[in-house]
Amino acid sequence: MLTLSRFLYLLTAALLCFFAISAEAQSFRVQCPTTTALHPGLATDAGAIKCQQISGGDGFATMADGSQTYLFAFGPLSGLKDIKAGQPGTQTQAVFNTPNPFTSNPAADPTASNGAVGLTPDPNLPVGSPLDGHIDPRPVMDVGVMNGNMPAPTMAIDEDDEFFLTLTNVGMIMRPDLFEQHTVHFHGYPNASSFYDGVPDASVAINIGGSFTYYYLAPDAGTYFWHCHITPPEHLQMGMVGQIYVRPRQNRVPLGASLYAALAAHEQASADPRQRCGTDILCPANLPHSDNGATRSNNKSGSPTLYAYNDGDGSTAYDVDYPIQIHGFDPSFHFVGMTFNPEPFTDMKDKYFMLNGRSYPDTVTAGPMQTQVADGSMHFSQPLPTIINIPLGGKALLRISDLDVTEFQTLASLGIPMRIVGYNARLLRDMAGNNTAYTTNSITLAGGESLDAILDASDTSKFKAGDTYYLYTPNLDHLANDAENFGGLMTEVHICSSVDPTTKTCS
Amino acid sequence: MCPTLNSKTLIQRFQVVAALFATLLIAVAQAAVPGVTSASGSFNLTAAPSYLTQPDGASIYSWGYGCVSGSTPSFAPAAISGANCPTMQIPGPTLIVKEGQSVTVNLTNNLPPAAGNTSILFPGFSVKSSGGTPGLLTQEAASGGSVTYTFTAMSPGTHAYYSGTQGDLQIEMGLYGSIIVLPSTPPANCSSGSSNDVAKVFNGETDFRLSTAAYNHGASCYDREYLFQFSEMDPLIHQQADAQKDLPCTRANGCMSIATEPYHPAYFLINGRSMPDLMDPNYAVQYPHQPYNGNPHMHPGELVLLRVVGTGRWQHPFHEHGNHVRILGRDGNLLLSQNDPTKLAGPLLFTTTTTPGTTLDGIFYWTGKGLNWDVYGHTAGDHSVCVPDANGYYTADPTAPNYYEWCQDHAKPLEAHPFGAVGSGGPVTLPDANILTNGAWYGGSPYLGPDATARAVGSTPIPPFGTVANSPSQEAGFAYMWHSHNEREITTNNAFPGGAMMMMLVDPRAFKINEAN
Repeated sequence: MLTLSRFLYLLTAALLCFFAISAEAQSFRVQCPTTTALHPGLATDAGAIKCQQISGGDGFATMADGSQTYLFAFGPLSGLKDIKAGQPGTQTQAVFNTPNPFTSNPAADPTASNGAVGLTPDPNLPVGSPLDGHIDPRPVMDVGVMNGNMPAPTMAIDEDDEFFLTLTNVGMIMRPDLFEQHTVHFHGYPNASSFYDGVPDASVAINIGGSFTYYYLAPDAGTYFWHCHITPPEHLQMGMVGQIYVRPRQNRVPLGASLYAALAAHEQASADPRQRCGTDILCPANLPHSDNGATRSNNKSGSPTLYAYNDGDGSTAYDVDYPIQIHGFDPSFHFVGMTFNPEPFTDMKDKYFMLNGRSYPDTVTAGPMQTQVADGSMHFSQPLPTIINIPLGGKALLRISDLDVTEFQTLASLGIPMRIVGYNARLLRDMAGNNTAYTTNSITLAGGESLDAILDASDTSKFKAGDTYYLYTPNLDHLANDAENFGGLMTEVHICSSVDPTTKTCS
Repeated sequence: MCPTLNSKTLIQRFQVVAALFATLLIAVAQAAVPGVTSASGSFNLTAAPSYLTQPDGASIYSWGYGCVSGSTPSFAPAAISGANCPTMQIPGPTLIVKEGQSVTVNLTNNLPPAAGNTSILFPGFSVKSSGGTPGLLTQEAASGGSVTYTFTAMSPGTHAYYSGTQGDLQIEMGLYGSIIVLPSTPPANCSSGSSNDVAKVFNGETDFRLSTAAYNHGASCYDREYLFQFSEMDPLIHQQADAQKDLPCTRANGCMSIATEPYHPAYFLINGRSMPDLMDPNYAVQYPHQPYNGNPHMHPGELVLLRVVGTGRWQHPFHEHGNHVRILGRDGNLLLSQNDPTKLAGPLLFTTTTTPGTTLDGIFYWTGKGLNWDVYGHTAGDHSVCVPDANGYYTADPTAPNYYEWCQDHAKPLEAHPFGAVGSGGPVTLPDANILTNGAWYGGSPYLGPDATARAVGSTPIPPFGTVANSPSQEAGFAYMWHSHNEREITTNNAFPGGAMMMMLVDPRAFKINEAN
């Protein structure tokens, strides 16, 4: 069994080996400025500075048949409290820059704080110097090693945000023979620069022992996803997949104001040319064909209604939203991946079919799941249940992405129709402004696709509090957990008297 | 205690060697949509056997369509030299015809007698056949015999053709190709010479387009076009065919007994090749039976027509890094808004799934809009100009090196403390280059073009180590992987990288994109 000290020794040796000639090689760092040119910190700022830190390394997850599976995986190094609670780990700069108590006190619980792990004043600077991104690597290694999550930490930003995402490569303790780099590919980011696109062939990749901060101006609203782009058939199959979505400006329209007028103001008169469509053939949100008079109002939870897109007509309104990532694991490949053997790609055959890293019945187990890793310690491995709670008479937005690397997967709704309002992070609307959304009972996605489905339970004569419905796959061989002929790609939908929009708790 | 060689590092070495190999061969970028044309609309095709080369060195017995020996087809685009049409190629010759043209395809069956009859289906066209012998789906050519298909090329767009005989075997063996129908009357706004055309001429670039519009519609204009035909191969099926090809036979359905299930493909192909061979030139001599490549290049702001064709058995999710694709039409059917036929109705997709027998046409572009930093590394006071047009781009001067720059981000710095002569005070600090690994297609800096790259790298060595396929001093383009997102399909017979994958380059205007030589 590899111990941590042995791993750190190997890591040090590896770093010396690769970088013996460099006297200035830096180690871990984060970047999360308190102000920028775009966000000087004024009340008039549109959007905000958002930050997140993730580890790239390995870990273990628990499959629904109880088996322990090895992962190459990302884990949280900021927003740990929110991640543990099933929330996105993305934080405002103020929260991110609040030191995590674990950094200075090993007895503290790192998951009790959302602050960046390891962030501390540079000891080489005078006492009292401000935080400058200096990271104490010890707490980062203590938290980050073998702490992979499946799926990877969820990210959520708003249009007009600047997003600083720091990837810290802590190495893979179970595979010290692999000096693997990792990257982040923000899948679907429009007009991406190749530098921040995460493709190692087209950019730079971060070595073990280093950090790289990706910089994104939030793209147009939509359900995107992200993953490592190093040796994709391997790193994606092994678990380096995550979710990211962007919320629309329409969520900032004042209560009672016209949605159409708000979108028209952006598209035709905004001082920010990014918001105007003009003659752009890739325009993300054309104005509706006509004004249906929709205004911003409160939803079933008593808070202002949220929208999936800048629709201008309320057609993507929801009461509560759920990110759902479809994936598949081939246990043979994962075993080979842990045991230093050459990996066969042609023979890859998924046997676990997962929603948010879990198969049924684990999909309906509340709270984060933990897995014992190779040194006997317990780690939060799969933070996300997929329990769809819908308030009575309400609508749930399912932000569905698929990162399976071997085959297409179908997800069906038993009982509540699915209204498909977005596809590949874009509103379904033609360039004349006509709604091209459609209603269906099942969706089929390839790896590398996403869509937005609204489960509409607004007909209270049909959908009553206490009812349970199901999301399941009609690919019937995917309703299995390896040898168990029951489980797989399935979860429950509950109609509740009310649902807390943040915690998603049913009451 | 440095790492010893293991399978992983060997694969990484293969990656570097493959990249170097590709670079040696793409001294000049080549792409376009090459194919055969005919003034009379008559094509003399043959179905014949040969061996395909794969990047792992394998030689795979296959069947493909080709041009009848001794026939003299015409080739398009005319500017590609060295065009040829062998008697067998995969995919078959891309037939380029004009809307309304009467098309005649004479097919001769030169497959071994053990393969039995063969044929061609032209889905989407009203086909009349003559000669040959009756088959299940269409008239077939018996071994050594021929059959003639005639149809009128009614609908513009990209179409597939493939064998209608024992499809599970014959299409797997390689009997498929594409037909491109060019619109009869490209709209005036497409053909009047856009400012991208002006830029092309100014930069001395040749026009390789087959037309100026994909359809007879003003929203289907394009500046460049590329064809991507997806398929896969199970080598065990091909080995069985190879072993049985010499069986004596006079039967219409052949005399081979080949198990086509369970299906276990190991090669994932685009235009009959896989990475890295895919990025070598069209008509490269080392692939005598795989003439077409996949090596797309474009400048910022150019509208690029993607012609995507699914073939074979499986669906392949084609992920275009860099931006979304606006779908124009499927199977040659333009998708228009129901109440405003001047407007497009196809969706915006970042992954265009391919399905066997289905085609799509879509428009892609890349401009760098919305990044909040200047990809050209301009600084205030450097005399660079960016005056936004109605859409926010600098299009006033097609001869400018930053033609089509997104002006909102003009002179906005990326780096807080850069090494070299690019703006400072930006949002990020780049990591020490010593803790990074450079990719073979990395342009050498975060910025686009040799000028910005030379200014940005400052005191670090030029060119940065490892950037061998996208010269920092000559090209410094932005590279994007375009690939199957069923990620195991970007492998070649269990080795990564390979398969259905290529790099697309967005090149600065200063780099001359030459699709022929």
